[in-house]
Amino acid sequence: MSTTPARTYWHLQAQQRQFSLLIEKRALIVNLLLAALLVFCSLASLAFGTLTIPLSGLMQTLLGNGSGMHDFVVTELRWPRLLAGGLTGAALALAGCLMQTLARNRLATPGIIGIDNAATAFAVASVVGTGISIAPPAMALTGAAIATALAFGLSGATGTRGYRFIIAGLAIGAISGAITQVMLSSVALDDANAAYPWTVGSLNARTDGSVQALAAGLALGYPLALALKRALVTLQLPEPVTISLGIHPGRVRLAGLVLSILLTGLAVAVAGPIGLVALLAPEMARTLSRPGTVPLTAAALTGAILMVISDLAGRLILAPLEIPVGIVTALAGSPYLLWILLRKSSDINQ
Amino acid sequence: MNQFVTVPSTLRLDAPLSACNLTMAHGHHTVLSELDIALPAGRVTAIVGPNGCGKSTLLNGLARIHKPRHGSVVLNGADIQTLPARQVAQKLALLPQDNSAPEGLTVTDLIRFGRHPHQGWLSQWSDDDQRAVEQALAAADIEALADRALDTLSGGQRQRAWVAMSIAQETPLLLLDEPTSALDLGHQVEVFELIRTLAGRGKTIAMVVHDLPSACRYADNVVAMCGGEIIGAGAPADVITTELIETLYGITCDLMQDPASGSPVLLNIRRMQR
Repeated sequence: MSTTPARTYWHLQAQQRQFSLLIEKRALIVNLLLAALLVFCSLASLAFGTLTIPLSGLMQTLLGNGSGMHDFVVTELRWPRLLAGGLTGAALALAGCLMQTLARNRLATPGIIGIDNAATAFAVASVVGTGISIAPPAMALTGAAIATALAFGLSGATGTRGYRFIIAGLAIGAISGAITQVMLSSVALDDANAAYPWTVGSLNARTDGSVQALAAGLALGYPLALALKRALVTLQLPEPVTISLGIHPGRVRLAGLVLSILLTGLAVAVAGPIGLVALLAPEMARTLSRPGTVPLTAAALTGAILMVISDLAGRLILAPLEIPVGIVTALAGSPYLLWILLRKSSDINQ
Repeated sequence: MNQFVTVPSTLRLDAPLSACNLTMAHGHHTVLSELDIALPAGRVTAIVGPNGCGKSTLLNGLARIHKPRHGSVVLNGADIQTLPARQVAQKLALLPQDNSAPEGLTVTDLIRFGRHPHQGWLSQWSDDDQRAVEQALAAADIEALADRALDTLSGGQRQRAWVAMSIAQETPLLLLDEPTSALDLGHQVEVFELIRTLAGRGKTIAMVVHDLPSACRYADNVVAMCGGEIIGAGAPADVITTELIETLYGITCDLMQDPASGSPVLLNIRRMQR
């Protein structure tokens, strides 16, 4: 029967019929495949580098009886970096997916709204010794919140839904980028060098506690985003319909925006502004998912995969030199972005 | 300037949805001023009037899409602004005029949105939901299109899918903004008859209609608006006069009774000689 959702969903129902769950088959399969791909990429990331560890050696290490050299490389060097990359990618992609949905615009991602750059400027300010001694995660969060509030304030009555939000965000991003450059050029060379890899997006300049803060932010933000999902899906309909269905669009947008700021700020505190992951990962996830859904989990997994692969590529391509992961994502992502723009130019602002 | 029929105050007491002293504004521009309206229970009310007279604003105000500047909308005796959104959504559905949906969304996906106010995290798909979606598909006569993507449908088919979404919401009150504007004559009649059927099952319906004869033919109650005010309300035969048509549209015409339905028919329409 065509009207039953049985072909697209698994329907779990308790005896009392009070309790029923719909599990979308395609989403589940896509997410499982993405999770498997993430595990595969993670193993590759742990195995490859200046020192290539054979699979057997990696397994021995993971099982707790590897050689001392392998143990050191995997657990001390590569695992923390893998964790930082995966978490950053997931957080940025989730933030991008949320913001695209609540702004109803595929271009509305934290990178384009200038949140990345503002968070970076604030975090750099605390690193290069401007006398501010607040921890980078807190500074990045502050920067992200201020940038969003400014973009929102300058966008007028249309709020996050209009083009003014994007334009205001672009300007704030440009100003923040300039401020970062001014700070870097006016401090001592050593300080500037220390902060540089971070401003282009790198997993090399992780500050103490920032990865833990990001992990905590994701542990809080991901379930909250999932709780918003039902309402987020209805935001894709015209606003009067959304209200008619019993949703407060303003509240949902605000909640989504706050989550997006939180995740972006904490991710930037770890790795700086990573180009395009927040835009490309939700886009890829949407291509893999059923039309009309908000693929939060698939976007987060895709974001993690993109970061892990990009970081691995950045470490390997010019080894022993290392290309910062932000440059890899920007280089590899730009053609894909152009392709999306050309293919879907008619509906990019829907 | 209520020079025609005013809303009888007794009607308002048992009306499931009414507005009192309703003033709506966009910025500094007042669209509706101090307007009173009551939708009689189980009846079809047609809101008619020239372009820009505030018909859609009134409908949006009644559906709490925009907050009124002054006055209140009363749903079953309570101010609609004070009621929880979900509770209102179980009582009242609005179908706006211009609708767009995400690319690739199927007809069934769209109709399932109508069940949103009846669902929760722990009851995502009940037998009621299933039945409501099936009934809505059947009522709008689009069962054959259930799995088609909306963007592959004709304007009329798409409009019927949106109507079906509102039906699936299973609310006692249904507000429709020009539900037949994109439809050919056959589908117009189909949607109007569907609206009559729904009213026959006890739904209270208000619709903005541009076509005056259709409004007279299918509505029990006509509300005529001009310049943000209600200048006439009541049974079509009582409200629709040549004078009212002159005031609304600046045209003169002759009125006849449709021999089959008894509703007013406009003949010999021409521009008013000034």
